Amino acid sequence: MPRFYFHIHNGNGFARDDEGTDAPDRAAAEALATKGIRSIVAEEALGGMIDLTGRVEIRDAEGHLLTTVRFAEAFELRTSG
Amino acid sequence: MIEKLLLKLRARDAVSDAEAAALRSLIGEVREFPARHTVIRKGEALDQSLLLLDGMMCRYKDLRNGRRQISALHVAGDFLDLHSFTLKRLDHDVMSLTPTRVGIAPHARLRQITEELPHLTRLLWFSTNLDAAMHREWELSLGQRTAVARAAHLLCELHLRLDVVGLARPQGFDLAINQTELAECMGITAVHMNRVLKELRELGLATVRNKEVVIHDLDGLKRLAEFDPTYLYLRQQPL
Repeated sequence: MPRFYFHIHNGNGFARDDEGTDAPDRAAAEALATKGIRSIVAEEALGGMIDLTGRVEIRDAEGHLLTTVRFAEAFELRTSG
Repeated sequence: MIEKLLLKLRARDAVSDAEAAALRSLIGEVREFPARHTVIRKGEALDQSLLLLDGMMCRYKDLRNGRRQISALHVAGDFLDLHSFTLKRLDHDVMSLTPTRVGIAPHARLRQITEELPHLTRLLWFSTNLDAAMHREWELSLGQRTAVARAAHLLCELHLRLDVVGLARPQGFDLAINQTELAECMGITAVHMNRVLKELRELGLATVRNKEVVIHDLDGLKRLAEFDPTYLYLRQQPL
């Protein structure tokens, strides 16, 4: 399985992923990024703040950017009834 | 071979020479497992308990969708499933996280200890009670601590438990588990774990990298975690 690196850019700055995570393919890596974003935002929401301005860059072992998942893409947003 | 177990028990109560000899003869066979090998499967019939001699293992449960919760980490000197002596099958799996060496304690020999050595029996009973105390602390973390405090708490606990068996350094310890497994201890995802570790690093508390934990500020880490080691019962108390 190829290894993917998930670098996070958001209001808290940049969190570089030095270790990476194995996933079957790029779609699976994107799903991992989406789950990760939801987990981070869920935790922040408990503190009363939701910041969807960040993004996760998915890179391969050589550091090439494969794709970017924006925080806002990880959610279906409803802000009015 | 059982030196780590003796260190763990003797941190709580005296173990006589006869009791140490009984523990030595308890272990019939030693087996080695590679990293990430499921050593005990949930539901299988068991007639032996396993003592971890080297390496790190975990207990976990999972859902059908593959989401896994690691409910305990085990270090050298821990029994992985002393509770299987009375339960005879486990409600969870046990998996190696690193290459490990395990001593096999047949239930028949454990039974003999319960019949002949009451004080040693109480020590083993203590050891399963200690497992339960650690599970309760883990529950508090999962239910109430923030992810960063949860991570800080786990590092404080591991540092102390490894210190008891002589495997910690004042400023850290080896931790050869990956970000995904660490995340599965905390009930978060690997991507989130990366962010949490970055926060611990930026707070100047600890760096987790390259299979090693370096603690920069142990007091600060304990404060963030609200780490109170009382639940590890590290005091001499005659049983």
